[in-house]
Amino acid sequence: MSNAQIEIQLILSLVAVACALPGVFLVLRKMALISDAISHSILPGIVVGFFITHDLASPLLILMATLTGVLTVVLVEYIQKTGLVKEDTAIGLVFPSLFSLGVILIARNAGDVHLDVDAVLLGEVAFAPFDRWMYNGMDMGPKSLWMMGGILTMTITLLSLFYKELKVATFDAGLAASLGFAPMAIHYGLMTVSSVTTVGAFDAIGAILVVAFMIVPAACVYLLTNNLKKLLIFSSLLGIFASISGYWLAHAMDTSIAGTIATVLGLIFFLVYLFAPNRGYISQWYKEKQQKTEVALLVFLLHLANHEDEMERNSNHLQEHINWSHQLARKVLKLANQNNMIEIENEIISLTPKGLEFTEQAISYITDNKNSELEGIKQNYFLFRG
Amino acid sequence: MMTQYLDLLMTDYTLQIITLGTAVLGALCGMLGSFAVLRKQSLLGDAISHASLPGIAIVFLVLGVKDNNGLLLGALLSGLVSAVFIKGIISKTHLKSDTALGIVLSTFFGFGMLLLTYIQKLPNANQSGLEKYLFGQAATLLASDVWLMSSIAGIALLIVLLFWKEFKIVLFDADYTTTLGFHVKFIDTLMTSFIVIAIVMGLQTVGVVLMSAMLLAPAAAARQWTNSLSIMVFLAGIFGAVSGILGTAISASANNLSTGPVIVLVATFFVMISFVFSPIRGLLFKQIKLWKNRNDLKLMKTLMFMYNIVEDHDNISHPHKIQLLNNFQGYTKKSLKSLQAEELILLEKDSWSLTEKGFQVAKNLYTQQS
Repeated sequence: MSNAQIEIQLILSLVAVACALPGVFLVLRKMALISDAISHSILPGIVVGFFITHDLASPLLILMATLTGVLTVVLVEYIQKTGLVKEDTAIGLVFPSLFSLGVILIARNAGDVHLDVDAVLLGEVAFAPFDRWMYNGMDMGPKSLWMMGGILTMTITLLSLFYKELKVATFDAGLAASLGFAPMAIHYGLMTVSSVTTVGAFDAIGAILVVAFMIVPAACVYLLTNNLKKLLIFSSLLGIFASISGYWLAHAMDTSIAGTIATVLGLIFFLVYLFAPNRGYISQWYKEKQQKTEVALLVFLLHLANHEDEMERNSNHLQEHINWSHQLARKVLKLANQNNMIEIENEIISLTPKGLEFTEQAISYITDNKNSELEGIKQNYFLFRG
Repeated sequence: MMTQYLDLLMTDYTLQIITLGTAVLGALCGMLGSFAVLRKQSLLGDAISHASLPGIAIVFLVLGVKDNNGLLLGALLSGLVSAVFIKGIISKTHLKSDTALGIVLSTFFGFGMLLLTYIQKLPNANQSGLEKYLFGQAATLLASDVWLMSSIAGIALLIVLLFWKEFKIVLFDADYTTTLGFHVKFIDTLMTSFIVIAIVMGLQTVGVVLMSAMLLAPAAAARQWTNSLSIMVFLAGIFGAVSGILGTAISASANNLSTGPVIVLVATFFVMISFVFSPIRGLLFKQIKLWKNRNDLKLMKTLMFMYNIVEDHDNISHPHKIQLLNNFQGYTKKSLKSLQAEELILLEKDSWSLTEKGFQVAKNLYTQQS
């Protein structure tokens, strides 16, 4: 590994963590798309800042772009408050217009400015190690490393100072307000941090992929845990992992580093989405299937309990009575039999004492609790699940 | 400058094509965007347009064609796949729609970037045509593209008219529609597919990044002027078309103005105008109403004060000195005059008297409410 490679990976890891931390809160607060809006609408801020400073890493440019980001949030909220359009439409109106403004500003001054819309939107971290910070003739390392390091330090400091406030305000804004935590201040604080991070990161990974760095790690981990501390830690680790593996993958394929990292993040999310225990696609699908059979079983048992008449309980007639397909009927019958809920004599099905007891308990539970999830009762009675 | 542009429009074939193209595109987007806005799916367009990038790259990579229609087909497929993913994430996990959109938008776009850079480095690939999908280049519109757009717009219009009743009822109450026995899932899919198609049609002209605004802005503007769906869809189509024409005109008459961003800004301008000036919903109208209410309240307060003075007298129309009102700060000469104009009081030099009508109005001011 050359020096430059190590520096690139270091920068990417810093960006990943700096994005993942505010990202967790954005996902939890259902404001994930604000990051998309900010990442686009900082463009005019960057352009104007660049006209003045001619340096993408200058503090003034970062300040101006951050202000544009916060302005986006303010505008979106103002439009929302007028009640003329819904929130998502407000976001969708504000950022493209600001972005258009930026594109036109660049195009109008193309002669004077060496700033490309592509560069802002897509970024290129491979060049980051070449833009170095010289202090007294001494090489202090790449500028963006210092910049991202500074932003990350600020984020972590703010996070540890206001962790409790952020937590309460995220999960119960009303409670936070009544405790005197000023949810609005926290909201705008978070928005400012998100803007600063986006501005700092666009140079390296491009504005659009900032969204991937912010949202995807948090979304992955959120499918696995509900614990806020774990969310923060594992999102950061996942971001670092994706950055470094993405970097080497891009190196091997000779492709865009940021694009490859976003792809890696997408693949990780896809895997988590499929296989996450309890919340993933497969486990949800399995649970739904199980629920379906078990509800059918309950209906079946109820039918038996309600009908003394032997005609009604003849296994050949059941199909007509409950109007099930042959397949489902057999599955339910088998499940009931396995769990010793029924006994069959001369094609007449009757409830066992255990089956009767379960049915009665389940019915009284549903009527009392208005809830059809009988997990506890099922655990007590079922040997085999649906 | 205006006549100059019109002259150019009369003679320049390319400009005619581009103007026609952006107008048709604007109308199509406005029409279909209305449904997206009303379904609160405004940002779906943003996600889908970003997500169409890998489709374009894959078609180019696999088939090696730069044929526009083929690439658009790739974009369409990739857009539809992304829509399926978004639906899957929202329905199967506890992640909310904003997160789902963000994930699909950024990872699909990232994958598209990966593919584009991969294509760039292939030895014999000339991929210069692909970049235009990122920011759009209206100048590359050909007559055949405009034909395609127009026929798609025609088909879309036909389908919207055919399924008008279904679309309308699903928009306003999806649950009720299910109970009526409509196939909501089918209608839903149809609507989403059309939104995807509109996005794909616009990619070449305004590009991936700005496409969502093309979809939203005309519809958001139209929404302010009416509560009727048919008028809204029609108006949105008009707004979209006018944005397209005006945007093209502005960018054609100045140097270095890319068409896509200008069209978006023109559409946004329509939105701002609509927000401020639309009757009933508009901000200006609301502000005027507020002032009027405030003024009315002041007049009524003055009248009430007069009523309290007059109440105990036998003759309610007995004149009183205006100075008597000095205890009450809220009156001015103007407000007294407007009270007189409404025949609630009579003014004579420096005295006033309540009319019978004024007395009754003041008497009923409080009792009316209860």
